[in-house]
Amino acid sequence: MAKLPTDIPELVKQFGPTLHTVPPGGWVHTDKDEKLVKTHCCFCGQQCGIQLRVRENKVVGFEPWEDFPFNRGKLCPKGVKRYMQDEHPDRLKSPLERVEGEGFKPIGWDAAMDRVVSEIRRIQQKYGNDAFALLTGASLTNEKAYLMGKFARVALKTANIDYNGRLCMVSAGAASKKVFGIDRSANPWSDITKAQVILVAGANIAECAPITTDYLWQAREKGAKLIILDPRMTPIARNADLFIPVRSGGDIGVFNGMLHIMIERGWLDREFIAQHTTGFEAVMETVKKYTPEYSAKIAGVPPEMIVKAAELWGPAPTSFLLHARGIEHHSKGVENCIAAINLVVASGRIGREGCGYAMITGQGNGQGAREQGQKCDQLPGSRDISNPEHRKYIAGVWGVPEESIPQKGLSAIPLVEAIHDGRIKGLISICFNPAVSLPDGNYVREALGKLEFYVNIDFFLSETARYADIVLAGSLMEEDEGTTTNTEGRVIRHRQAVTPPEGARQDWAIINEIASRLGYADKFHSAPREIFEELRIASKGGVSDYSGMTWDAIERDYGMFWPCPEPGHPGTPRLYEGGKFGHPDGKAHFLPIEWRPSAEMPDEEYPIILTTGRVVSHFLSGTQTRRIGSLMEQYPQPRCEIHPRLAEKFGIAEGDFVKVESRRGEVVVRAQVVKTIRPDTVFVPYHWPLDRSANNLTIRAIDPVSNIPEFKICAVRVSKTDAPTDAIAQLEMEAGGIR
Amino acid sequence: MRQPEFPVRGSDTAHAFGWGLLVASALIAAISVGSRGLKDFDPALVSYAGASVFAAFGIGYRYSMWLRRPPTRMYWYRGWQLFMKPQHLLGNIMHLASIFWNNIFLQRFIEKRSRMRWTAHWFLAWGCLLAAAVTFPLSFGWVRFETARDNQEIYSAFMFGIPVGSFRLGTVVAELTFNILDIAAVMVLIGVFFAFWRRGRDRDARSVQQFSNDLMPLILLFAISITGLFLTASTHLMHGLHYVFLSQLHAITVIFTLLYLPFGKFFHIFQRPAQLGVDFYKKAGAEGEQAFCARCGEAYGSRMQMEDLKAVQAEIGIRYQMADGTHYQDVCPPCRRKNLALAQDGLWKAHGMDVRGMGKEL
Amino acid sequence: MSEAAFFIDHSRCIGCQSCLQACAECDTHRGVSMIHLETIQRSDSVQTAPQVCMHCEDPICARVCPADAIKKTPDGVVQSSLKPRCIGCSNCVVSCPFGVPKYRAEIDQMMKCDMCYDRSSVGKKPMCATVCPSGALTFTTMEDIQRTRSGIPINTWKFGNEVVKTRVYVMVPREVEQVNVDLVQISSTPTALQDDPYDVALMLEDAQ
Repeated sequence: MAKLPTDIPELVKQFGPTLHTVPPGGWVHTDKDEKLVKTHCCFCGQQCGIQLRVRENKVVGFEPWEDFPFNRGKLCPKGVKRYMQDEHPDRLKSPLERVEGEGFKPIGWDAAMDRVVSEIRRIQQKYGNDAFALLTGASLTNEKAYLMGKFARVALKTANIDYNGRLCMVSAGAASKKVFGIDRSANPWSDITKAQVILVAGANIAECAPITTDYLWQAREKGAKLIILDPRMTPIARNADLFIPVRSGGDIGVFNGMLHIMIERGWLDREFIAQHTTGFEAVMETVKKYTPEYSAKIAGVPPEMIVKAAELWGPAPTSFLLHARGIEHHSKGVENCIAAINLVVASGRIGREGCGYAMITGQGNGQGAREQGQKCDQLPGSRDISNPEHRKYIAGVWGVPEESIPQKGLSAIPLVEAIHDGRIKGLISICFNPAVSLPDGNYVREALGKLEFYVNIDFFLSETARYADIVLAGSLMEEDEGTTTNTEGRVIRHRQAVTPPEGARQDWAIINEIASRLGYADKFHSAPREIFEELRIASKGGVSDYSGMTWDAIERDYGMFWPCPEPGHPGTPRLYEGGKFGHPDGKAHFLPIEWRPSAEMPDEEYPIILTTGRVVSHFLSGTQTRRIGSLMEQYPQPRCEIHPRLAEKFGIAEGDFVKVESRRGEVVVRAQVVKTIRPDTVFVPYHWPLDRSANNLTIRAIDPVSNIPEFKICAVRVSKTDAPTDAIAQLEMEAGGIR
Repeated sequence: MRQPEFPVRGSDTAHAFGWGLLVASALIAAISVGSRGLKDFDPALVSYAGASVFAAFGIGYRYSMWLRRPPTRMYWYRGWQLFMKPQHLLGNIMHLASIFWNNIFLQRFIEKRSRMRWTAHWFLAWGCLLAAAVTFPLSFGWVRFETARDNQEIYSAFMFGIPVGSFRLGTVVAELTFNILDIAAVMVLIGVFFAFWRRGRDRDARSVQQFSNDLMPLILLFAISITGLFLTASTHLMHGLHYVFLSQLHAITVIFTLLYLPFGKFFHIFQRPAQLGVDFYKKAGAEGEQAFCARCGEAYGSRMQMEDLKAVQAEIGIRYQMADGTHYQDVCPPCRRKNLALAQDGLWKAHGMDVRGMGKEL
Repeated sequence: MSEAAFFIDHSRCIGCQSCLQACAECDTHRGVSMIHLETIQRSDSVQTAPQVCMHCEDPICARVCPADAIKKTPDGVVQSSLKPRCIGCSNCVVSCPFGVPKYRAEIDQMMKCDMCYDRSSVGKKPMCATVCPSGALTFTTMEDIQRTRSGIPINTWKFGNEVVKTRVYVMVPREVEQVNVDLVQISSTPTALQDDPYDVALMLEDAQ
């Protein structure tokens, strides 16, 4: 297919993004005829409890849910205004068909499904099963994630299914699995409050996991010391006990440097290391050369900071490590995480109260969605798709021959590259907006334009859906029910608040329908509650074992932590108690980590480091939050944070238009001159599309193990420029315009 | 609601009492003169007139007390001063007419608060004013109607004893004249209906409303209107059934309302015109010299208002003078807010973050 | 258990604007936010300043009101101006030591934070203090605050020579008895501290 069916301003005119600013029925002050539905936020991995105010099958507002123990009523601005995505003027209420030169026109479900199924058949017959791929999302419920994996393997019989958790949790997951044998935060959040020192590496908690801020403070009020690693002074870093403004990609310098000092000064739990771990000798050998001076060079910070960090962390009786995308979004993301986790294992402070480790999940079901088998290399229950035993068990659950289950497929970036190369010809995507969220945006959009047939399932016409041949109107979180698994490993229940608008369908019903038309009606007929029952069985005996859970128990206990291997089991909030780890030998495996440069380091031509990230009022690719008026008002357009020293060098003043260029593309945004960022680094948030997309700049380099893209560092140059006046710049800011 | 503590001096009360008496006496004099030495005075309406005199006393008293408050006095004084400036007087009168039309007649500012509230208020206000415009002159003996000596079909109206017009029974004018109070009553009832409907539904209204202040006036207006309408019904539809009882009941509701007038929510009718004075003050302030914040240097209001406020604050004992000779009133509100956070954060910084957790059991 | 009270710890604020967004969801002023959140000086730091009404014992806003339109409920909550009385003069806006009241030109009336009276009057927490992710704004009992915080809550402020007691408390280090508000000049924190404490380049100077 060609590129877009019509020009972007025309598509924006038809499908938005436009802003929703007033709730249905207006800003009325009444609670008459209203019901409250206890459910969860649709956005990040904290999955805060929230009550939606529902009147006449419309979500009209929210009410805090103070009984839910994780957030006790607390919400970030996205949570507060999430209800404004309902009753949205941009909402898709019918399948759409691409019309060359015009855009999209509504068609009936029957016609849409006929077309989808015949194209799947055509492409698979002509190019092979694997030429039709599936890209899914980590904001899908566990039930939907499970269904997607099964749909790919059973109905499409394609190896090529992957999900946008590939941009999120895979480095943390892989590292955790390598060291501990289990991919999950080791502790519930309540343990944070009991730690005496907390190390936060690469996590802008105040903006990306705001609710966790209070957990940090609960500990700090009891005297806990807080250490923050970040190239920017984020709000929690401002008054931390130690803020280390590490150079992006230099974190291993800090971690190895700290371990070096800990070994030197004897701040190790030798007994724990001897009894419960393997491989420490090799680590000791590696960190030998990481003296404070050597480490400081790598980290780009004064050596005293690393010494101070070791002095705070080393001798503490209890401690907690938190990390997030800041250290994970690297071509050495897994190594970064392992180096950090080594600090935890060497201290022996894990598996007990106030002692532990957690990765901060980014996407709504970032944890659960990677356990149910929609990753290219996994089957349900976090099972390995190349392990014959695992395949056999799942084949049994699905009632298919083991050999019919495809082998490991391509992960997200290679999958898009295969589309670009013409190896993959057809695609179904759901809950994924790669046109904004994948690195090297120009390349990605080029790839999307090359598909022979592309089906997009979504509730809004995302920037990616503009490339589709058929768009199927799916459902919002609150229009369906199911479970997700939050950042703690707590499985929680999303309740249905309203029904989808007429013409839109629940995602699982869409998938079931396609599968049925492909001839698998017998295996695809279940609604979420039945799917959960099947998922339970499928996860039984796996690492992420849900088999003892029921929706009722989840509701009653405000969520349950996996593993929960049999009915009546209370779940497992804290892993590794008694030093029992997830590997077959029951031990934690130290791995020596050597620092290596990032894929693209600054040079003469592109002398500045670009790092990307989020702002508090937007979520990921912005498909939802760029449509909510008050969230856009809070942060309407991306700005390039730049230190005054660097700005002065280029004659840039606050508010100037600047062009940020990399070898792959450019963006023009306004400059925000701030002293709170390293003077060798600039920051651009990535929630905006087109000429405002920070991912036009980022590099398509991936971690060899986790395949996570290197969003957090690439080389750029920055120059002052004139206000852009092209058609894209003229669009509203939510659509990629600039003011 | 509790009144905020405000220094009320003994002389204020005496002063206000004097004003109350003066206003009441003036009304008595006006009744006496306007009814041509009580010649036109209808003795049947004496209780209404009496209650009005009491209300006049109350309003005079309350208004005087209100004007004795330094901030009010400041605005009163400034308002007149600005209004009467000879070179602006003509323009001011024109402007007054315009803001009177928008704010008092149309009450546009209420419409922006809530359309429902505005609808209710507009009907209530103009229903009441219409009724007042008829009943007060009647009960004071300023206006009377007589049939012409030679023709029972023709009614003549007299104001202060001077004939001001006549009309024939059965004409539209006659119907309007005789039923004007019924029209007013219906308007008030419409207003009351909307007001109650809003107050029953709106969570905002439900949480802050009080019986004595917000519901009582509505009940009084309802009672007046409904008993008034009963009187009409009794006369025209039921051959005077229970007329005496009904007229007494009606009188009680009216008299009670008159007595309530100076003390409850209705007093805003007399306060509201002050809004017009403030309008002139704000206009002069915007055109005049601006006050610049001592911290950020931005303009944040009129110099006149800041200086007036300093004088008012001095009078009522608010002492914003800072040790370094600056004045807190010279700081703009956003800078005050920033300043507070800097001060609080600075306390923690000055004591070192180490103090967090001191003396706490882990 | 004592009655719940409102506690502010400005230093915890992360500027996320949850309070602002949630404030507009409160039914006494739905669609309009009453809380203030200032970014102190973004070029220099990420520090932000949340401000709710402190609900003074003897509210200065009410004392300077010419229309006598600002009232306190028996439970000590200073309300938005009475609609029939407020004449929109803004005396309260520029007199409040905490910079709280807001004049809304379109309705010619002063409105202010009323501790979400529709909620707090029936035992619910105000919106901002319920959602605040950092605990900068908290509505809880005195016992709970004493148990969970290292500082102490105080409610005495001094602005020049004016001592103000408030119903809302502020969290301060233990030895502090009242907050003396001096003018802290823009673009810097208290003079006792180094210049530009939040300049990352200065922190890194040793490394270069």
